[in-house]
Amino acid sequence: MDTTPPSPSPSSSPSLASPTSMEFYDFLDRMRNPASLDLVRSIKSFIVSFSFYPPNPENDGKKVQDFFMTMEGALRDHPLWAGASDNEIDCAMEGLEKYVMTKLFSRTFACSPEDTKVDREIAEKISLLQTFLRPEHLDIPAVLRNEASWLLAEKELQKMNSFKAPREKLLCIMNCCRVINNLLLNASMSENHVLAGADDFLPVLIYVTIKANPPELHSNLKFIQLYRRQAKLVSEAAYYLTNLISAKSFIADLNARSLSINEIEFEENMQAARGANKLAHNEPDPAVEEMAARRRQGNPGPSFTMNDKERIMKGRSTYPFMEAKAGELTVGDVERLLSIYKDVVDKFTHLSEAFRQLTLSKPEFHHLEGTGGSFAQPPQPSLRKDKESIDGRGE
Amino acid sequence: MGCSSSLPDRASGRLGGLNSENGAVNDAKNLRVKLVLLGDSGVGKSCIVLRFVRGQFDPTSKVTIGASFLSQTIALQDSTTVKFEIWDTAGQERYAALAPLYYRGAAVAVVVYDITSPESFQKAQYWVKELQKHGSPDMVMALVGNKADLQENREVTVQDGIDYAEKNGMFFIETSAKTADNINQLFEEIAKRLPRPTPS
Repeated sequence: MDTTPPSPSPSSSPSLASPTSMEFYDFLDRMRNPASLDLVRSIKSFIVSFSFYPPNPENDGKKVQDFFMTMEGALRDHPLWAGASDNEIDCAMEGLEKYVMTKLFSRTFACSPEDTKVDREIAEKISLLQTFLRPEHLDIPAVLRNEASWLLAEKELQKMNSFKAPREKLLCIMNCCRVINNLLLNASMSENHVLAGADDFLPVLIYVTIKANPPELHSNLKFIQLYRRQAKLVSEAAYYLTNLISAKSFIADLNARSLSINEIEFEENMQAARGANKLAHNEPDPAVEEMAARRRQGNPGPSFTMNDKERIMKGRSTYPFMEAKAGELTVGDVERLLSIYKDVVDKFTHLSEAFRQLTLSKPEFHHLEGTGGSFAQPPQPSLRKDKESIDGRGE
Repeated sequence: MGCSSSLPDRASGRLGGLNSENGAVNDAKNLRVKLVLLGDSGVGKSCIVLRFVRGQFDPTSKVTIGASFLSQTIALQDSTTVKFEIWDTAGQERYAALAPLYYRGAAVAVVVYDITSPESFQKAQYWVKELQKHGSPDMVMALVGNKADLQENREVTVQDGIDYAEKNGMFFIETSAKTADNINQLFEEIAKRLPRPTPS
């Protein structure tokens, strides 16, 4: 059996509960013992058996869960675990879950086109909502508007996608919910805010989810539901998972009536966000072409006044791969690659913006001056002239 | 008293296996029960639970006090223990469609209204119908009129509560989370009504 750990955890591993890696290495150690050869064979043949059939999420979930049950029985009867406590068996099962699911990850995570589609739709909807949604739209009381806590909770949610083991993904959700939980408890103690339980908890979780726009949210939730050992999907963990599923479902169905917002205002905001998103997403060329087409028709088009920062944020939220697949790299690589990648995306966004500005401020566009903040600048030197000056030729 | 807390052995609870159909994990002596709270926002759902969970003063008791998920174990006279895992739900209208995600698999549903608010009583009846349609049929249901300390503002009579509960095969009680009146009784009564696993 290949006993190198298949998925190095990102350095910020889930901090709750027992030391994950310890039990995982202990599991691998025991699997190296010749006495566990029979177990190793079962595990290997189970993993191989997956490659015989095309992915089928519901079915695969059941197969994996059945396998976990069988293996738990096998461990209990195994000489290597003779006299082991329930806790030790449990640790071994955690190790097994992590091993098996890491091996099967690419076959089981977001493996249907429908799931990918739902992921994309939700991410897009959230990126629209991000442009205008405010806490008061969800009637979140002022005492609970705590940017620092929210940011922490968001970070936990965003981390979820970088883990492969169902348990570690679930821990990210737990951590996020506990941050919110503490925020509510603190508010009830120090601010004298009457503890309103889920009436307060769910809106904050929804808001945090929208701010975080966790990559591949739907697929992550589905993966946890299908592949986390069922005996562990109970109690507090099940409750918090259910809440995030709720939040996702609320966001997916969200319309003006779901919020405390005027219906017309909602539609206008969504429309504006769509327009802006389109500009930010498209390669520069089509956007320029669109502008050119409008110009030919003598229609200056809508004025876009989004500032750079918003545009950059939008740029980020539209690259889901920012957080994805990092698990295949080593820990050191992940950090570096991610930061480089983010940098590249930022630069690209800046560039697109600069390019757009340049195109807009060509002399033909003088009649646009004053229609929007960003158009009111004096025309800038054309690209060609810039180039010449870079070449050292001057004018 | 009759409701000092103790912690059932976690591991033995596990061994009994998970019966996700009714949300109760059993060996014969230690029940683990999923309880879902439903009711309009502002009726004091979470206050009732906090009263219940914080009111148990056994220092050895392991409780979970979250803002919306709480657990507490009570011991019954026949030396069984019942660990309630309490799932609070958001009561605002805009979240009504999400409730089935929460009550699925619950062994107990506690539907709460505020005796000073007829609207909240209406809402409670909506939840009862909803549970009858979509909940598991062997779910234990309790109807709770909260804020019983506000007698002078009462708008829903005790009789209305009793009648409605009786018609729907529910257990009825009025509570005050403020004075702690009937809070323990509520949970003890629920515990008594739980279907017991037949010892194998």
